[in-house]
Amino acid sequence: MNYFRTQLLLVILLFLCFTKQAAAQNRIINGSVVDQNNLPVNGASVSLQGATIGTTTDSSGKFILTIPSSAKSILVSYIGFIEQEIRLSSANTYTVILLPSSQTLTDVVVVGYGTARKKDLTGAVSSIAAKELNPGPVTSPLQQLAGKAAGVNVIQIGNEPGSSPGVRIRGITSLVGGSDPLVVVDGVQGNMDLFRQVPPSEIESVDVLKDASATAIYGSRGAPGVIIVTTRKNKSGKSSIEFNSVASVDIITKKLGVLNASEWWKEAQKWNVPASENHASNTNWFDVLTRDGFTQNHSLAIGGGTDKFNYRASLAAILQNGIVINSNYKNYIGQIHAQQKGFDNKLTITMNLNSNISNTLGSPNSVGRAAFTSNLISNAYVSRPTDPVFNANGSYFTDPNVFQYINPYAVSQTVINEGGSNNLFGSLRTDLEIIKGLTASWFGSWRKTDSYWGYYIPAASTVATAIDNKGIANVSNNRAEERLMDISLNYKKTFGEHRIEALALYEYQTQVYQGNFAQAKGFINDITTYNALQNGDLSKVTPGDISSYKNDRKLVSYLGRINYTFMDRYLLTASIRRDGSSVFGPNVRWGNFPSGSIAWRISEEPFMAGQDIFNELKLRVGYGITGNQQGLYPQNSTQLVAASGVTYFGGSQITNFIITQNANSDLKWETRKQANIGFDFGVMGNKLSGSIDVFKATTENLLFNYTVPQPPFPYGSILANVGSLLNEGLEIALNYQPVKTRDMSLTLSGNVAFLRNKVLELSGSIDGVPLNTDYVGWGNNAYLIKGMPIATFNILQHQGIDAVGAETVIDRNKDGVIDQGNQSPDRYIAGSALPKYTYAFTPSFSYRNVDISMLWRGAGGNKIYNGLRSNLSRLENLGKSNVLSTAPELGLFTSQYGSDLWLENGAFLRFDNLSLGYRFNTKSLKYVDAFRVSITGSNLAIITDYSGIDPELSGAYGGAGDNGIYPRTTNIAIGLNVIFK
Amino acid sequence: MKKIFVCILFSLLLTQSCTKVDEVVYDKYAASTFYSSPAGSDVALASVYALIAGNWGGVGYAGADNGWYDLNVMSSDEQVIPHRNTGDWQLDFAQLYKHEWLPTHSIVANTWTWLYRAVFTANLAVEQLVNAKADPSKIAEAKVLRAFFYYLLMDDWGNIPFYTENNVTVENLPQKNRQEVFDFVVSELKENVEKLSPNKGGQYYGRFNKWAGYALLAKVYLNAEVYTGTAMWQECLSACEKISGGGFSLHPGAAKSGSPLGYQYFELFGDVCPEDETILAIYTKVDIVGRNIFTVRSLHGPHANALFGFSGWNGSVTHKNYVDRFDDNDIRKKQFISGQVEGGVTYSRELSSLDNPGADRLEGIRNMKFYPAAPMNGGGASNDFPIYRYADILLMKAECHARLGHAAEAKPFIDQVRVRAGLNALPANPTLEDIYKERGFELTWEGHRRQDMIRFEKFLDPHDFKPQSGAFRKLFPIPTFALNANKNLVQNPGY
Repeated sequence: MNYFRTQLLLVILLFLCFTKQAAAQNRIINGSVVDQNNLPVNGASVSLQGATIGTTTDSSGKFILTIPSSAKSILVSYIGFIEQEIRLSSANTYTVILLPSSQTLTDVVVVGYGTARKKDLTGAVSSIAAKELNPGPVTSPLQQLAGKAAGVNVIQIGNEPGSSPGVRIRGITSLVGGSDPLVVVDGVQGNMDLFRQVPPSEIESVDVLKDASATAIYGSRGAPGVIIVTTRKNKSGKSSIEFNSVASVDIITKKLGVLNASEWWKEAQKWNVPASENHASNTNWFDVLTRDGFTQNHSLAIGGGTDKFNYRASLAAILQNGIVINSNYKNYIGQIHAQQKGFDNKLTITMNLNSNISNTLGSPNSVGRAAFTSNLISNAYVSRPTDPVFNANGSYFTDPNVFQYINPYAVSQTVINEGGSNNLFGSLRTDLEIIKGLTASWFGSWRKTDSYWGYYIPAASTVATAIDNKGIANVSNNRAEERLMDISLNYKKTFGEHRIEALALYEYQTQVYQGNFAQAKGFINDITTYNALQNGDLSKVTPGDISSYKNDRKLVSYLGRINYTFMDRYLLTASIRRDGSSVFGPNVRWGNFPSGSIAWRISEEPFMAGQDIFNELKLRVGYGITGNQQGLYPQNSTQLVAASGVTYFGGSQITNFIITQNANSDLKWETRKQANIGFDFGVMGNKLSGSIDVFKATTENLLFNYTVPQPPFPYGSILANVGSLLNEGLEIALNYQPVKTRDMSLTLSGNVAFLRNKVLELSGSIDGVPLNTDYVGWGNNAYLIKGMPIATFNILQHQGIDAVGAETVIDRNKDGVIDQGNQSPDRYIAGSALPKYTYAFTPSFSYRNVDISMLWRGAGGNKIYNGLRSNLSRLENLGKSNVLSTAPELGLFTSQYGSDLWLENGAFLRFDNLSLGYRFNTKSLKYVDAFRVSITGSNLAIITDYSGIDPELSGAYGGAGDNGIYPRTTNIAIGLNVIFK
Repeated sequence: MKKIFVCILFSLLLTQSCTKVDEVVYDKYAASTFYSSPAGSDVALASVYALIAGNWGGVGYAGADNGWYDLNVMSSDEQVIPHRNTGDWQLDFAQLYKHEWLPTHSIVANTWTWLYRAVFTANLAVEQLVNAKADPSKIAEAKVLRAFFYYLLMDDWGNIPFYTENNVTVENLPQKNRQEVFDFVVSELKENVEKLSPNKGGQYYGRFNKWAGYALLAKVYLNAEVYTGTAMWQECLSACEKISGGGFSLHPGAAKSGSPLGYQYFELFGDVCPEDETILAIYTKVDIVGRNIFTVRSLHGPHANALFGFSGWNGSVTHKNYVDRFDDNDIRKKQFISGQVEGGVTYSRELSSLDNPGADRLEGIRNMKFYPAAPMNGGGASNDFPIYRYADILLMKAECHARLGHAAEAKPFIDQVRVRAGLNALPANPTLEDIYKERGFELTWEGHRRQDMIRFEKFLDPHDFKPQSGAFRKLFPIPTFALNANKNLVQNPGY
């Protein structure tokens, strides 16, 4: 009876069942599998196409397989190699040479909640294997991805120790809702922070889901794209000890030219700066504050396994000494992965445990005078070269005549700005094959992050607020707990020409965020820094000195997906996800996120059999709806009351309470509708292969702080889902391998992405309230304007400099008044901060034991408002500041405008990476399996018209200006990779 | 096999209970429940006062920068922050001083934003106190506060959007003309002032008691002609008479060591405003409740540092033409500082430029009326700020009498104020010009000057760096952002 029920279930699940009966006659074949170097491949899978018969190769690469004599071909595959179909002849012995699968069409790709063969993909997914990742002294896995995938823009702004690059996949998808992709590491979902827990040397592959048909499976978190990182696992039957080490010297190759002491004084006299402002020293503040940096990256990984059990454990250390004095970063990551099979291989249990401890000593990011606040290093440009570092008595020099003067060296020596985090995640995955093809899985992950930060700024720092308060110390502690559980059923079946895979999944996530902050001011001395807040002057406690918070969010999801393949030519993927989240307004707790995509492997069609142009040709078409809820914080949707400082009432000081926000009970996720059409192709015997994708994505229900009339609203804006935003683009990735022999290979790869962004709508209404939002200031004279890209410059036009050295601008509407309002007719549209195109060229070459690779990377079509140049060019500042060496020639004394004089072309081409490696022959060595040394140079050259320190700024995030960054360094690194037997 | 299925089905069933995604709030109160408690309704009233103390971002009546105070004093002739040829200070203040402001001016926008947030908070307080059936004096106090904000809006903008219940929609938010707002303010005050507590000091320090309510009403009547075209001097006089019932007198002015600037007079602007003369004050405790930046903003760094141990901002100055009108014997002239001072600083009396290329670093006469009271730091001091004080009321009485043609009756009131300042009584009955000047001596830097200049028809006249300005300058423009957000609003003429 029970058996019957099971059967019934099977019948329902397998409503299309055409299983052919195999003929009864068998024969035995054998052979061996080797790689391109003629080394045996252990554990390669050898199977009969479309059947369940198969085996794996042994440690010498040999296999024996019993097959029906009617069988025409066998499939040989192994992770990292191109799968090969071997036509069977009458011979019984076959030698199969597997070639590495770099950028070919047959890799296995990790997609959301599962894997797929690349040739079966119907969506836009960029897959980067370990060996394609950028080499060198990487401190974050994202740096390894730069330039590797079309439409995936990795943005590194400066090289501050511990600062992670950012990434935008197919542009900015949201204004305030966050455009960071969802990061999934071995099934654990998280934000960009999760990258800190990934040792760069332990990455097996990175898969970037770009279009909605690929990301819709992640529902309300999928809109900005998904980056899936798979870490290395040990291969069955193999044990290894692997050691990696990279050490790099980091130097500054580009700095801003400012006046030296004699030039400054010469210029100062010209502009009547009194002699009292000349403190007769000769200080190069930039040199005083900088040094050569040093970055090290070491990792040790061990692994072993049998056919039922395998494990891999690794320990990595990333140590970075920044080029600004007193800045460094240390990150230690430990990771254990273990997998055990049971129940006659029907049960697989996989456990993962990962922990990292990181410590940062940072140079202050926001210090300076009222007129100029930036990071510490940018304050070096402002400091007059005639100012000494020290007074005669050994104390730090400061000038009381300059409002809020700071001595940046004093800041670097006296301010303590340090912190760290301890992050832990563990996951357990259980897969049970209930019947052939049907797997039930349970997955649970738990991530805990704890971070602390300590800050102390003494009066000796020369910073005005520290002097005012006689020292300020604060500590903050934040912790987060993210738990996820999913239960799923997965069914795979091949029958005849049909292959079907179905997934049903329930997922439950909770995230809890808590933290506290405490501050004390007024210290008798600086000995205890932030370690004993109670030593401060407690009579000076002010509102904001003590705070704590807690909030949480829950997300419940149901999802289903079907992949269907017919004749290996026609492919269909359809998915639906239903998400409910506690951060959505009470009126809209649940949303649906469907997607569908089809692909056609044209090259497999019989009518293509006669042609020899295309070895591969596939058309992909997909459409999907995804969501984004990053920008929704818990409690956004209700009207809340919270403490806000202190008020005086009834004869005493009492805590004041205010309504904290305009409530919106209709608040929900952003909806992103994306259509994608793509071609994958291989020509000239697959020597030239590539992908072309065209997409159009519209973000609707765009979250933004829309303008509401005030009155009657107490605040001028309300967070709502009103507007819409368009991104459309073209991505081309090409891979050309003109030479590929046993000894030599040459690969020329590159990609380019064109992106067009447009704010479609910013106005609308909620509950009858008109929201008239337009020309929203975006900083640095950039605006959000309906019909224009995000961060469009709407700026005054420079005219000249008048007789007294003041800037004049063009009065475009000729009314005699220069109006600097947002919608002023005196402004004009002058381009956008968003790059219109990004591209990369990554040639690589190997000959016998030597390999060379390069990365050239660029972007353009954008403008940068060089606010730093504007600040450092006005000669009226000479009395209190230094200026750029270009300032005297410009001759601008003062300006009340932020005109297009400071607007510059942001295009660049960076020679980002050059790596040379040598692999020693280890055949004669008893204990060494592989030994490779390399030398890598990063950021070797840059071609750009931009006059600032580096054109790679926050433009790709929609940031419009340059207000000074931590310098970008050039790194020369030596690397070592040893695998012991 | 069966067991496994049962297990899976069971776990799927279990998850049925895990489908709730309701939100839990851990660290804030829901507005709906918070204010309905008795404590909550008191808090609603207290939070209105929180908006009166000056703070960063243009918040508050006076004490900090870029808000109501700067808008109303820098547009007059008594104070300006010049752009310096060292690149310091933006042009906002010079634009106000020279009557060159545009509807996009940031201080105009800040003041509008602050006042309408204050109206919202006052509406909320009225609603909550009424719902909680609170003490009628508290309801009256909230209504008087709201009338105070509408009076300030009417004074600066004239024609303004008006609402008294927060759940109003934009269509039901009429832009009332100045007369209508005036009528509302007057009737609201007439109805509620008598309900206010007559107590002074203690629990009522810094609050609208009955006397502060009448002072506000008197101010509204004093400017009635400006607002409506119909003068109401007699009504103003009666309101001033009511204040006399509060038992106010002028604080002594005499020299006294230990007093700020050496005179008891300056205690009026010290840590706590003295009860004898002060009718309504803003309580200030730097960094805790508001701040008072006026001296630290005016003095140059080393000067302030020598005096107080904190650097000054080298900001606001008064033109010598204004200072020179003071009699040398006038103790009130002591607030102005020039020449050689502590810290090796020598201020020049001259002011060569307000904007381009800007004034030299040490140009301009400084002001120390609010001699910093502890605790203080570079971000301000703890001086309380007098919104209304008895000297003002005396001068208002003198003005009303003079305007009504009873100059002889006006004389004792103006003389009281003069004598306290170390001057002689006027040799003859006061003219309106005498009263205007005296208000300039007595109340300078206290936020009254723009209103007085308009009422005495001096506001448009050229002075110092300012040419003659158009009559439309008597009202500020409705900020551009407000017009954009509410298409029903009509801009004031001339902008």
